[in-house]
Amino acid sequence: MVNKSNRGQMKTKKLKISSLHRPKNNRGQMKIQQTAFMLIAVTVLFVLVGLFFLVIRFGSLKDSATILEEDNARLLVNKLASSPEFSCGNAFGTSKVNCIDADKIMALKGNINVYSNFWRISNIEIRKIYPISQSEIECDFANYPECNIITLKEAENSGYTVSNFVALCRKESNNENIYDKCELAKLIVSYESAK
Amino acid sequence: MIENKKAYLQISFGWLFAIIVGITIIFLAIYFVVKVINLEETAHSAKTSQEVGILLNPLETSFESAVTSSFTFPEETQIHNRCDNYSNFGLQRIEVRQKDFNKWVETNIEAQFQNKYIFSEKYIQGRTFYIFSKPFKFPFKIADLIYLTPASKNYCFVNAPTDIEDELEDLNQPNLRIREGCSEDDILVCFNYGNCDIFVNYNAKRVEKNNKEVYFEGDALMYAAIFSDKEIYECQLQRLMKRNLQLSSLYMNKANYLAIKGCSPVLNPYLAQLINSLSNFENSEELYFLRSLVQEIDNKNVGKCRLW
Repeated sequence: MVNKSNRGQMKTKKLKISSLHRPKNNRGQMKIQQTAFMLIAVTVLFVLVGLFFLVIRFGSLKDSATILEEDNARLLVNKLASSPEFSCGNAFGTSKVNCIDADKIMALKGNINVYSNFWRISNIEIRKIYPISQSEIECDFANYPECNIITLKEAENSGYTVSNFVALCRKESNNENIYDKCELAKLIVSYESAK
Repeated sequence: MIENKKAYLQISFGWLFAIIVGITIIFLAIYFVVKVINLEETAHSAKTSQEVGILLNPLETSFESAVTSSFTFPEETQIHNRCDNYSNFGLQRIEVRQKDFNKWVETNIEAQFQNKYIFSEKYIQGRTFYIFSKPFKFPFKIADLIYLTPASKNYCFVNAPTDIEDELEDLNQPNLRIREGCSEDDILVCFNYGNCDIFVNYNAKRVEKNNKEVYFEGDALMYAAIFSDKEIYECQLQRLMKRNLQLSSLYMNKANYLAIKGCSPVLNPYLAQLINSLSNFENSEELYFLRSLVQEIDNKNVGKCRLW
């Protein structure tokens, strides 16, 4: 028993002595620690630079998407009035440029769910601007044509808005006589901004 | 001696650690750079596809005549034209591929549009592309059809009817020629039987191309059949008929509304018949059966109460 415990004590002593009296190893450990810290610092630096680059890159990607959507909205507003769902065609005499058939638009309003993603824009609104009206009345099947705003599509998250002046034409009747009536309106479209 | 050799091979732990971590950092850096390059290529391709689609917007007009335009990429580009005919309007899909280190980069990123109808071969290649568009009416205007061709491919129209020749002359698109200006390398489009790449039977309203036949109604669809593959043509035609169905329903509702104002909805039974026929439309061979109905509807759309 005595021998065994003595042996253990001797060992401990030896270890203590070696750790205290070997300054070369200690310097080596310090060097390893320095290298390790240096490498960790370099890695962290690389990661930070990478993250910084990614943030900038994704920011510019979002900007590009927004610019493309803006372009789409700007070009679309000019040609939307010519699209068969909107255009007057020859329904009001000869073919007209930037002419919207209000009667057709009201029919479209009742069926707009089918066209939910057709033009890839979030808002489509037609606002009558002349003759000037004192109040803003949204058109529905009950009050049409005694109203001045036709909202086809409406979304909360709308970004860039563009508009175009158009002629808003419809059929009217007066004592069994049917005639065409055209008023000045603004076609307003806006796209959904990139998230 | 042996001890000395061992000492010679011995590498300190510090060096070993530095080498392993160094290699790891270099590999991570390479991996990161490759990922970023791929991301850039994908983003560039997606942006270009979208831009091509947006560039086509001004081509849709309310005018009757054909309109032409062109665009040039800074490098050799492939445009892949794809079409889906599911849902209410189907889908026009475009993928743009560009060369990187002399190899085409496949990104699988597509721009998608429900309101565009592009007629071209499945994929076309070049730097400059010509586009022209023409409204398609059946019996009312359905859409503006867009024909996309690479500048490197010239089409030569031989013995075309006078109105087609006049239209091509007015269009003045450099890669669309009429008989005098043809060269040996041109794709010959003949309106009489002969040794031609594409044959148009104008009376039977049939186009033969690559030993395949498709049928058309009106000049807009004839051009579509000439410039596109059969698969693209049939798919886009189905999409057009789907839009026709929705527009017919729109005009029926408009007619019902105008009935309150004293316009008799005389067209509604015919439009209902058209909707019924269009709901089962499968391919261009069926255009023949719709022709007389469409003609009748067009003839009845007259007077003060005309719908379009």
